[in-house]
Amino acid sequence: MFDIKKISEKISSLFGAKKEQNDTSVLKTMEEKDMSRVNRTQRVVQVLVKIALYAFLLTMAVIVLFPFYWMLISSVKSLEEYNLSVPTLFPEAFHFENYVEGFKTANLGQLFLNTVFVGVVSTILSLVITVLSAFAFARLEFVGKNALFAALLATMMIPGELFTITNYQTINDFFGLKTLGNQIGSKFLQEIGNWQNTYTVLIVPFLVSVFYIYLLKQNFMQIPNELYLAAKVDGTTDIKYLWKVMIPLAFPTIISITILKMMGAWNSYIWPRLVANDDAHKLITNGLRGADFTVDSMVHYPRQMAAVAIVSLPLFLVFLFFRKYIMKGVSRSGIKG
Amino acid sequence: MAEVLKKIKFEKWKGWLYLSPAIILLLIFTVWPIFNTIRMAFLEDFNTLQASRGAVFEIGFKNFEKVIGYKDFLTCLGNTMILCVLTVPLSTILALVIAVCLNSIKFLSRFIQTIFFLPYVTNSIAIGMVFAAMFNIVGSFLGTDNQIVQTWGIVNEVLRAFGMEPINWINSGSDYWANIWVMVIYIVWNALPFKILILLGGLQSVNKQYYEAAKIDGTSRIRTFTRITVPLLSPMIAYVVITGFIGGFKEYSSIVGIFGDGMGPAGEKGKLNTMVGYIYDSLSLHQGRASAAALILFGIIFIVTMINLYVSKKKTHY
Amino acid sequence: MKVELQNLTKIFPSRSKKQGEEVVAVNNFTFAIPDGKLVGLLGPSGCGKSTTLYMISGLQKPSSGKIFFGDEDVTDLAPESRGIGLVFQNYALYPHMTVKQNIMFPLQNLKGEDRLPKEVMIERAYEAAKLVQIDELMDRKPSELSGGQQQRVAIARALVKMPRVLLLDEPLSNLDARLRLQTREEIRRIQKETGITTVFVTHDQEEAMSISDIIVVMKLGVVQQIGKPQEVYDDPKNLFVAKFLGTPPINVFEGKVSGGKLYLGEDAVLDVPGVSDRAVYVGIRPEAFIPMSDGPLQCEISNVEVMGRDVSVVSKHVASINPFVRSIVDADNKISVSDEFVRFYLKPHKVFLFDKETEQRLYFGNQKPASIEEM
Repeated sequence: MFDIKKISEKISSLFGAKKEQNDTSVLKTMEEKDMSRVNRTQRVVQVLVKIALYAFLLTMAVIVLFPFYWMLISSVKSLEEYNLSVPTLFPEAFHFENYVEGFKTANLGQLFLNTVFVGVVSTILSLVITVLSAFAFARLEFVGKNALFAALLATMMIPGELFTITNYQTINDFFGLKTLGNQIGSKFLQEIGNWQNTYTVLIVPFLVSVFYIYLLKQNFMQIPNELYLAAKVDGTTDIKYLWKVMIPLAFPTIISITILKMMGAWNSYIWPRLVANDDAHKLITNGLRGADFTVDSMVHYPRQMAAVAIVSLPLFLVFLFFRKYIMKGVSRSGIKG
Repeated sequence: MAEVLKKIKFEKWKGWLYLSPAIILLLIFTVWPIFNTIRMAFLEDFNTLQASRGAVFEIGFKNFEKVIGYKDFLTCLGNTMILCVLTVPLSTILALVIAVCLNSIKFLSRFIQTIFFLPYVTNSIAIGMVFAAMFNIVGSFLGTDNQIVQTWGIVNEVLRAFGMEPINWINSGSDYWANIWVMVIYIVWNALPFKILILLGGLQSVNKQYYEAAKIDGTSRIRTFTRITVPLLSPMIAYVVITGFIGGFKEYSSIVGIFGDGMGPAGEKGKLNTMVGYIYDSLSLHQGRASAAALILFGIIFIVTMINLYVSKKKTHY
Repeated sequence: MKVELQNLTKIFPSRSKKQGEEVVAVNNFTFAIPDGKLVGLLGPSGCGKSTTLYMISGLQKPSSGKIFFGDEDVTDLAPESRGIGLVFQNYALYPHMTVKQNIMFPLQNLKGEDRLPKEVMIERAYEAAKLVQIDELMDRKPSELSGGQQQRVAIARALVKMPRVLLLDEPLSNLDARLRLQTREEIRRIQKETGITTVFVTHDQEEAMSISDIIVVMKLGVVQQIGKPQEVYDDPKNLFVAKFLGTPPINVFEGKVSGGKLYLGEDAVLDVPGVSDRAVYVGIRPEAFIPMSDGPLQCEISNVEVMGRDVSVVSKHVASINPFVRSIVDADNKISVSDEFVRFYLKPHKVFLFDKETEQRLYFGNQKPASIEEM
């Protein structure tokens, strides 16, 4: 580097008249800069940028986390402390009895059981349907396959509310069975025609998710077709191949679907509120929103926050253990729950 | 020979057997509703109760006319539009900035990423209640005897700490725009995780060589961002914008989370109601109108998606 | 087990409905594969060789024609009831199973009376593994094996249920050059040891020639020639076969026959009695050229590549279809680039004439079509 500088200086001194032109040349400016100084300023800028990045990210992280923090500290405050004119950022004393009271007030035990039952049953059934459908689309050749798949994808464009209106009628009077039962006085028909306040109504209408079928089909298609042909040569039945080869290989996706489906059941609110309001079938989100935390004509916020924390906890635990699968599933879906 | 034929035929139709559970359920809960909802939307003043008593309804556009004429519906449409227009750009830009920052750090990157994803795994009703508590004016009637002590929620305390006047965010008598901003903050908070995840995923799949080349050419950070990052990320940006609009037009449960079933501050029921809220309100009594509203919602979502696709096709660089 | 293909034809419906064109993948293929032989199906991609293999395996149904294993008509039999072993190009090993589980998988599918006790299954799996020399790797997953080892596992899995016919789809194409040589010897050895009738598919003529008992050259679904490798090489039935076999490839010239003499450009280079006057394609094997100062064929030298025992002379000739004429001559001939021209005498039995229209072989002098019956 030194040599080049020297030579270029020499050249420019030799051609004194041309010196000004040479100044603008790239070689010249690059060489004339004091490289060590450039380096130092660059490093300073880099460090400053890094500090700014972390400052920004950590501030945003604090803002994002704050509601959780507020929920947790509020849940252990006494009502008096909560209502102080200047709120405390850390509880003076921990009142864990809020959790007990909150749990009782919102009847969370019963709600919890209802929700877990609905979640587990609908997840299992939904997985069976999804796996069978995805297999058919990914591996079997049959009449009308492409048209059917396109039709399924098209239904994803339609907002769910459009279905809800008719589905609400359907479950109130399943294809006229209740009306028929009323007319001919058949108790049996009346009962099977009316799905209000049953587990069926919470499970059956949402068993098929076109999106999950699509997701799993894509995953199945990545498995080389030769594996299927090899299994056929070896005399494997479709079901055995599905069970022994495809499901193990697509297991991450199946876990993603399972978790998202369970979370969906945990978070579902609108449909359960429409169709299941008795204590035996009410789901946890409805129970929580509907619970009355009023004590002496005032909302007991600490208890409410305690109940909210209890409802949120399982989600966080699941997230803690299955972070990878959840993030993978979500990044391909964009559908909450 | 007949058996062979039978087997070949079976092979051809086997797929349908595997699909039959899905198809039966879809026929009942998806396909039939599409037809029935369209039918009800065009039967004037249709409702199930009268229909079961044998009433006959005329075919026409009266449901649509009525829905559009309703003040309630217009409120809902307005609220939905305002929330969409405010939350989608805000959350997208914020998510983009956060994603780019996250992508350029190494230390703690995973940890911070996980924090930003946390709001996703929440129950939007439950955490809505937390937000409500934070914006609430709490304990307004606490004190000894007849003394009334106004205490403010934590958000107002923070404002006061910066020397600003407390605001009545969500309580009775609160200002419409105060309500809207609470909703915007909550919705953005809720929408960030998904958008950050998608955009960060996109950033990480961008070939590092582009950035190295830009560095060698001495491109500034800002220029690198606007000329390399954003164009290369444009498909993902388009995706989060489209899903953001679709989600925005279907906004409902986050409002229930903060304001409760009343969809508004105490005493002002329906002040913040949305399109979806309107559909649910008319669901049990006025199926005709609910159907018409659902079709209008579908139409809006369809048009907005098409516009977005058209724009992003023009703006997407590859 | 003798495998007999009778008028085997496979027609695929066209992809797009508008054009309505069908693709004939295999056209009227008739051939009896003798028991215990190793047969190579050879041809460029899209010639129908894989389709033929898949039809023998039963994974694809022929549009018409019949397949016999011995005297049994298996045309409508499902793949699993045919008693075949199939090795796929990418091996199709189940990635989540160990080598042992992979090899045992076909045995576990047997039902009823055929079902073996577990110990026998394991024993058989080890036997098959030993045959292909991977019995040390039984507890590994496929991802922990090299390409060559995966290949062996695939062969073991195909052999474990003692198939009547072994089918190999491009068995060597995913291996590097060194492994390829080694593995093809291995396949040859396994086939000889087991005596199982084996059919394999390849696009590599060298591979096919080196290990097959019989090769079948195919083009666009039509069988071009069947025979022992050396016979097909020495006596190609048409221009395609002549061009497809041999490295370096055969030199093709445009020539004409006039008065029992073959003309390349202006020069009469060879007597070709028995061929009437016409335009012809002339195929000359690289080893057909003998440098002689008074040879009838004169070429312009552009390069001489020394290969030790032999010398490869790269030269130009006006009548040549390829840009260069490549000849392999004995190193004793001392040809150098500085000699501007070289003159060759041609060995008549290494020169093949083909009709310009039909590209079919025209025999001259002592040349005679060989017949398959001799096999």
